[in-house]
Amino acid sequence: MHVVVATDGSQQSLRAAEQLTSFADPTKITDISVVGVIRPLAAVAFADDLAPEERRRADLETGGFRKAAESAVETVAAVFDDWGPKVHKLVRSGSPANEIIKLADQVSAGLVVVAAGGRGISDTVLVGSTAQRVQHYAPCPVLVVRPAPRRRSRK
Amino acid sequence: MWDTTPVVRFGGGTTPHRKGAQIVAEPRTLSIDDESDEGGLRRSITGRQLFFYTLGDVLGSGIYVLIGLVAAAVGGAFWIAFAVGVSVAAITGTAYAELVTKYPQAAGAALYVNKAFGSKVLTFLVTVSFLSASFAAAGSLAGGFASYFATVWSAPPALLITLLFILFLSIVNFIGITESVVINMVMAFIEIAGLVIVLVIGIWFIAQGDADFGVLTEFDTGDTNWGLAILAGVALSFFAMTGFENTANVAEETIDPHRSFPRSLVGGMITAGVIYVLVSMAAALTVPTDTLADSDAALLEVVRTGILPISSDFMTTLFSIIAMIAITNTTLVAIVTQPRILYGMANEDVVPGMFAKIHPTRRSPWIGLVFSGIVVGVLLVVGTYAPKVEGESLVERLALVTVVFLLFIYALVIVSCLKLRGHDEDDRTFRASTPLLLVGLVGNLSILAWSVYDDPTSLLWCAGLVGVGLVLFLVEYFFGTRTRPAGAERGEPTARSRGGL
Repeated sequence: MHVVVATDGSQQSLRAAEQLTSFADPTKITDISVVGVIRPLAAVAFADDLAPEERRRADLETGGFRKAAESAVETVAAVFDDWGPKVHKLVRSGSPANEIIKLADQVSAGLVVVAAGGRGISDTVLVGSTAQRVQHYAPCPVLVVRPAPRRRSRK
Repeated sequence: MWDTTPVVRFGGGTTPHRKGAQIVAEPRTLSIDDESDEGGLRRSITGRQLFFYTLGDVLGSGIYVLIGLVAAAVGGAFWIAFAVGVSVAAITGTAYAELVTKYPQAAGAALYVNKAFGSKVLTFLVTVSFLSASFAAAGSLAGGFASYFATVWSAPPALLITLLFILFLSIVNFIGITESVVINMVMAFIEIAGLVIVLVIGIWFIAQGDADFGVLTEFDTGDTNWGLAILAGVALSFFAMTGFENTANVAEETIDPHRSFPRSLVGGMITAGVIYVLVSMAAALTVPTDTLADSDAALLEVVRTGILPISSDFMTTLFSIIAMIAITNTTLVAIVTQPRILYGMANEDVVPGMFAKIHPTRRSPWIGLVFSGIVVGVLLVVGTYAPKVEGESLVERLALVTVVFLLFIYALVIVSCLKLRGHDEDDRTFRASTPLLLVGLVGNLSILAWSVYDDPTSLLWCAGLVGVGLVLFLVEYFFGTRTRPAGAERGEPTARSRGGL
C-alpha cells in the first residue's frame, strides 16, 4: 500500500515519520510519498525547522520557500532510507490539508501520516488545524502523531 | 495489519533516490518526483488568481480611503492625479515584472537592490523602509476603516476601532485564514462591486442629463499652480496603487511565471488604474468637490446623493460594509508582510533571532506578528495624539509616510532593474521598456521630492520608523547570537533568508 507522510517542516512531523517506522511493517508498504506543502499567501510560506541553522540560508541564489520545503522533505524522507518501500518526495503548494487529501486521493493512499503540533489552547480553541482537517476528510485511515505530553511535577 | 490495497504507481519514473547532502550541492536537480503530478500542479497560483490578487490588493488601499484628500488637493480635476499616479506605479510594476521573471525565487525589492548594488547598508535601508511603509500603510488603512465604521456605528472612539481592527487582523493572520486564494478572489470581487456601484451612480447621473462635465477640468488649488497641485494629489493617489509589490511574494508559486506574472501584475494594475480614474470622475460629477474634500469616507458621499432609486440608508450601509471589506483585504496583506520581512531579517542576523521563531502548530512567525501589531498600534496612538500639522488627519499623515518610503524603494527598484540589464537574462525574461522606466524613475523621484518638500514633517515619522529598525539591529548586534550560515556576512540577504520577501 501507499503511505502519504506529510511534513510542515516541524520537528513533530519528523517524529511522526519515525513513529511510522517504529511499528509498521515495511514489507507491506510499497510506496511512501513524503509531501511538504507551501502556503504561498502565508507570512512564512514554509519554515524548515529540521535543517541545521547554518544550512538554512546556505543556498544563495536558488533559495526561497520552495527550497525550504524541499529540504524538509529530504530530511523526513531520509527516515525511510533503507527501510524498504520506494520513497517519493513531493512539494505542493496551496492549503496544506487540501493538498494532502488531494495527494492521498491521487495515489489511492492506504494511510496518511500527519503531525499535530500543539497542545493547549491554540489547538483546542482555534479551528482549522491541518491535522484536524486531514482526519475529517482523508479518503483513508490517518495516523495523527501527537506530541509527547509535558512532564508534570507530581505532588 | 496492513491490507494490500491496490496501489497506483507514480508515472513510471525511475528517479534515483538522493540523500540530503547532495541536494545542497546541486539544488535544481532535486529528486522530488515531478512526473507524479499529472495535472502539473506543483505550483498553485494561476495567472488569473494572481491578477485578482493584485487587483484586490491594490483596489482596497487607496480609493476608499483617500479620494477625499486627493479631491481636496486638486479640485474637480483630481482624476488627473489618479491617472498620473497610476501610470507611474504601473511603470514601476513593469520593472518588478522584469525582475521577477529574472529572479522568481528572490522576489522583493531588498534582494533586487542587493543584487544590483551589493551594498549592505543600502539593502538594510530598503528592507527597513519596506517594513516601515507596511507599518504606516496598515495604520493609515486602519484609520480609513474606522471612518467607514463610524458611519455604521458611531459610538466607539475611532482610536479604539483602529486598535481593535489591527488586533483582529493579527489574530486572523495567526490562525491563517488569509491564506486562502479563494477568499482573496471573493474579496477582490466585493471590492470591485463597491466601485461598480459608484460607477453605476455616475452613469445614471449622466444619463439623467444633470452632469456638468466642466467640473472635470476644474482646479481648486488656491494660490499654487495647477502642476504642483496635481503633484500633491499624485503623492496621495499613489497610496491607492501601493500593495502591488506584495505580489512579488507569490511569484515563486505562480504557474508559468515568465508569461503570467508580467501580464497579471501589470494587467491588474492597469485595470485598477482605469477603475480609479472612472470612479474619480463619477465622484467628481455627482458630488461637489468641497463635500468630497471634507468627508472622511468620501465615496460614501456619492452613494448618499440618492441618485439611484434605492433607499439611500440601505445603500449607505451596504457600501460601508463593502468599503470595510476592501480595506480589510489590503490591510491583511500588509500585516502578513511585516512578520515575513522580520523573519527574513532575523535569518540574516540584522534583527534579533526571536523574529524567526515559528509557532509549532500554526506555523506562523508569531513574535513578529505581535511586534508588528504593537508598532502599528503605537503609530495609531501617536498619530491620534501628536500635534496636527495643518489639520492633517491620521489617515493622510500615515499615507504620506507610506508613500515617501515606497517612492524611495520604487525608484531604487527601477534603477536596479536597469543596472541588472544584461545579467541573468534568457529568452523568457520579460523586458520592460527602457524609456518608460526612465519616465517612471523621474516620476517617482519628482513625487518623492515634492512630498518631502511639501511636508517635511513626514521625514520625522520616517526617521522614527527607520529608528525602530535600527534599534532592532543594535539589539541583535550587541546581544544576538549567530544564525546566518558560515561565510555569509551580517545583513547579506539570501533568497532563502528572505524566502521570497
